[in-house]
Amino acid sequence: MKIVVCVKQVPEVTNVQVDPVTGTLIREGVKSILNPFCEYALDHAVRLAKAQEGIEIIAITMGPPQAREVLLRSMELGADEGVLVSGREFAGADTWATAQTLAAAIKFAVPDFDLIFVGKQAIDGDTAQVGPEIAEILALPQVTYGVEVTLGENLRQVRVKREIDRGFEVIEARTPALVTFSKGEIVRRVPSLKDLIESRRKPIRIVGAKDVAIPEEELGLKGSFTQVVKVFPPQEKKSGHVIQNVDAETAARQIVDFLKEHRFVD
Amino acid sequence: MHEIHSHNLETPPIDTVKCVKGFDLIKAEYPVYLTDESKLSANPFDYLFFPKNECELAAVIKEMAQKKVPITVAGARTGLVGGSVPQQGAVISLEFLDSVEGIHHDPLSGEWVIRAQTGVSLKALDGMLRIKKFPTLEASTDQNCLDELQRFKEEKNSYFYPPDPTEMSASLGGSVVTNASGARTYRYGPTRAWVRGIRVFLANGEYLDIPRGKYFASPAGRFTVYDSKGGSSSFIIPDYSLPRTKSTSGIFTAPQMDLIDLFIGSEGVFGIVTRVDVALLEREEKISIVTFVDSDEQAVDLTIALRENPLLQLDFLEFYSSNALNLLRERQGREPSTVGMPPLSPEGASAVFFEMSFDSHSESIDFSALEQTISNCGASFERSWVGYESRELDRFKVFRHLIPETVNDIISERKKSFPGLHKLGTDLAVPDEHLREMWKMYKKGCTAGNFDWLAFGHIGNNHLHINILPRNMEDQEKGLTLYAQFAKKAVEFGGAVSAEHGVGKIKAKFFRLMFTEEQIAQMKRVKTAFDPDSILNPGDIFGN
Amino acid sequence: MLIINHKNCTRCKLCVTNCPFGALSFEGDCLQVSELCTLCGACVNVCRFNALRIERKQASKEELAAYKGVFVWVELEEHEGKCAPRKVAFELLGKGRELADKLKQELTAVVIGDERASGYEDLARYGADRIILCRHELLGYYTTDGYTNVICALIAQKKPSVVLYGATPHGRDFAPRVAARLKLGLTADCTGLDIDADEQLVQTRPAFGGNIMASIITPYSRPQTATVRPNVFPACEPDNTRKVVIEEFPVTLKKTAIRTRVVERKLIESDGQESIEDAHVLVSGGRGCQKAANLDVLREVATKLGGVLAGTRAIVEQGWIPHTLQVGQSGTTVGPDLYIAVGISGAIQHIVGMSSSKTIIAINKDPDAPIFKTADLSVVGDGCEIMPIVNRLLDKKN
Repeated sequence: MKIVVCVKQVPEVTNVQVDPVTGTLIREGVKSILNPFCEYALDHAVRLAKAQEGIEIIAITMGPPQAREVLLRSMELGADEGVLVSGREFAGADTWATAQTLAAAIKFAVPDFDLIFVGKQAIDGDTAQVGPEIAEILALPQVTYGVEVTLGENLRQVRVKREIDRGFEVIEARTPALVTFSKGEIVRRVPSLKDLIESRRKPIRIVGAKDVAIPEEELGLKGSFTQVVKVFPPQEKKSGHVIQNVDAETAARQIVDFLKEHRFVD
Repeated sequence: MHEIHSHNLETPPIDTVKCVKGFDLIKAEYPVYLTDESKLSANPFDYLFFPKNECELAAVIKEMAQKKVPITVAGARTGLVGGSVPQQGAVISLEFLDSVEGIHHDPLSGEWVIRAQTGVSLKALDGMLRIKKFPTLEASTDQNCLDELQRFKEEKNSYFYPPDPTEMSASLGGSVVTNASGARTYRYGPTRAWVRGIRVFLANGEYLDIPRGKYFASPAGRFTVYDSKGGSSSFIIPDYSLPRTKSTSGIFTAPQMDLIDLFIGSEGVFGIVTRVDVALLEREEKISIVTFVDSDEQAVDLTIALRENPLLQLDFLEFYSSNALNLLRERQGREPSTVGMPPLSPEGASAVFFEMSFDSHSESIDFSALEQTISNCGASFERSWVGYESRELDRFKVFRHLIPETVNDIISERKKSFPGLHKLGTDLAVPDEHLREMWKMYKKGCTAGNFDWLAFGHIGNNHLHINILPRNMEDQEKGLTLYAQFAKKAVEFGGAVSAEHGVGKIKAKFFRLMFTEEQIAQMKRVKTAFDPDSILNPGDIFGN
Repeated sequence: MLIINHKNCTRCKLCVTNCPFGALSFEGDCLQVSELCTLCGACVNVCRFNALRIERKQASKEELAAYKGVFVWVELEEHEGKCAPRKVAFELLGKGRELADKLKQELTAVVIGDERASGYEDLARYGADRIILCRHELLGYYTTDGYTNVICALIAQKKPSVVLYGATPHGRDFAPRVAARLKLGLTADCTGLDIDADEQLVQTRPAFGGNIMASIITPYSRPQTATVRPNVFPACEPDNTRKVVIEEFPVTLKKTAIRTRVVERKLIESDGQESIEDAHVLVSGGRGCQKAANLDVLREVATKLGGVLAGTRAIVEQGWIPHTLQVGQSGTTVGPDLYIAVGISGAIQHIVGMSSSKTIIAINKDPDAPIFKTADLSVVGDGCEIMPIVNRLLDKKN
């Protein structure tokens, strides 16, 4: 069985600062990491692989050459191989163009996939769109916000526990299918020294624009439906009253006074 | 040269300095100042001062000196030996002296040195260095200062301050006067190795500026301090030799020593440090590795093997005994998310934890020397955890801290039945060649006594914290007796009774195991020279 | 247009039975498509043999201008046997009304459900000019395929200019599928929606975790679609005089089109406590609360103030509270009258989830914690020490 896990490299500290003059992001001191939700998706896949013989995990990422790092990290965590979808043509893609590219890359690199696991959202974009869009392009059933996944007896079915705002649902689908993941109750994996050393020996394939067979005008910036017309800093809220350098008792009293003043308490 | 002049400051009137008067008021409104991390109780005292700057501090010192009121100095109050716990008189909290004052590049040593006031916490300092943002510095009006800061920001590299005591909320000044050390001391040495200058206020309210490398004891071991009023005070440094291990047991001394080293680790008995200059080091990418082994003894073997391998350069080398890990195994069974790590290796396994430089971007990684060392000891590199992203390193840190945290929780619980109960922890270090024997003694003693015990710590420096968790007061008595035996043995091996916690008010008994009365008298003479009325931090080191 | 690959076609006829418009039929062995086809994509989605493909050419300006009207998907929630509109639907109608007025077009509320769907009078009162009912027994519970197929069929036929969805778990599940199927632009989690001089929908949302705001337009495709979080826009003042037209949209939906099955549904409700989305007062804990046990005090204070407990992603992942109480970018957006943040540093992903709270009190040991930038009352101190005292003082008051 083959599980493709889509992973993304994102800035580590999401409190990224914006240069007030140029309006661009200040990347100094900000490291790049494997998007936490992608890591959870990978972890759910690795759990299945450890419980069941014959499951292969392929990590795929679309990004600049540096994105290789998240493939290495994915392989440390248990992916068997990596696929890097990279090329100038892909730059500037919005979620649709990204989904198109990844879907085509998956069809090219792992045409016989059974499952696609994706993190529910990336912590830099937060749109949660790429997963469902890939599912649509590949005409797959989808389950989003999965926190637990099990395989049916004959491996042709997948059962996913899904988070909804008032609780949970358990959804069943036939493979091939796509699932997006949240953390659930998994404890994040830690690779061993052996895993680390072996990860550097696992293969990474490169997929370029020519492999993806999408007309150039549908890639990258050109292929995007949405256009950003303005970028601006968020409105600064007016600063309020500050209580500091007092002990807990005084602070608590002042809080209760505030609540009284604003009529949250009689 | 061995002569130094102190300077006088214009001081404001004492009543302009924020002060809380009266023990009842202090106890009601500022209870946190009654103790430190040792949880030792305070005796009633009368004043709690909060000077905002050095002038106010000088005003308080002069006032208290004149009235002969003893002063206890409080920094971040994270000490473990009662250093900032008052016994009488006044407490001065230095928390408001918390600006970073400058950063400059020393052309001679090639180091970046940062100048900061005592109240800056190590954690805040680390944060500022990471993002290269220093609020107080950036508001400076000194052009030189701003130019140097700009140069620092433009440096491609990132810098950090190497001493990393486990308690990062400690104040910088506090870490200097206690010569704090932590895991990375294995490679980088204790705080002492990184201090390039201090400003210290004496009992007469005047201050000394001491850069490293300027003031040395005379061949006869003498220093003389001249004050601004024409008076002078002279003393001879003690002549004992220091143990060949990490040590915070007593006053530092060495032939023709640098005056600055007298104050570092002095626990505030000679003066109050208000400002320090510390050197920084280039940040390198690191990898943390936890190796699980089958027994405590195998862990000791692995430690020695790692230490002796010239191909390996480790930043720190730490140990967790199997009974320490059992605490976490148990907790993991109950609250897996709190522990936040994959299921621990099964019963019996201990762990050795170390860190080394690592380049995550390189195509291939060569850990063959490490692999070899690990397998030669009969361990497997499959039973290990590694991490190099800062999020992962933080995660490992949280995991390590869970051990003392869980111990504290258990003690708190047991205290409910036995209010006089407290955790027993050793802080002994011995020279390298005695590690195996010392471990045997610890294990034999604790097992024979049938105690609830565990061990962890800086095994690379042969410095382990043996924790006994007494079940009742009888257990506690037996434990204390056992500890005295351990301390005696450590001293016999040429080690230190207090490797990193200091002496403070709590370790006076062990202190006397290490030094003779004559040696202690020599230290006291230095104290008298600086503080004839004994008003600074009474009760610390020398007892009452 | 619909491109048929006859070589791949196995004549299984799934496409024929699933086409909402009856546009597909077989002439002998050959699949044919009639002009009833709206390019809704239901057939492409259901074909297992890759025999169908839709090629969409760039729409011309005139074609784009033919798309008119603002549609709002009304999510229903079950309560005592009836399915009524969720609060977010009224918020979307409020904003939708504004947009429709600016465009001088109609505002339509789209209700997808089964025969238990209700609450139409409210939809009218809160802004809708028209209500389109898409009712079918297979739509009683949310499924990705069911809802995607229906909305695509509806949009393909009715050609609205704008479609808005609530960014709820279900909304975020199918809005991107619709966008992918019909090749539409979709902007998620909009905090601002407006019409510019060119009659484009300007969609504003936080980017990079909220550190910058981005304004986005979708000039080349219609409809323009967007999801909006609950508690971002206000509902409008009810207008009892508004006349509404109710239309039934015939739904073609076959079991075979729905490829997921809901095996179980479980709601976490603690003693009928209201959800954090609806609560007027929230007392929210972060990692600074240090341990799960310390949340008990927060819970008590919340109850005394007539509210509920909430928390950050960090403490949900620690297992201290269920995900239903999570506030933030990857949790729920809340807008209570009072939000008390205890031991929360204020990472932007959290702030984005609670900044529309009317009054904010923040307690944190770190004077530089970013949460203080949004707070009306900032308290620098240890929440673990302060909250028990607040709890005690609130007792005295009563």
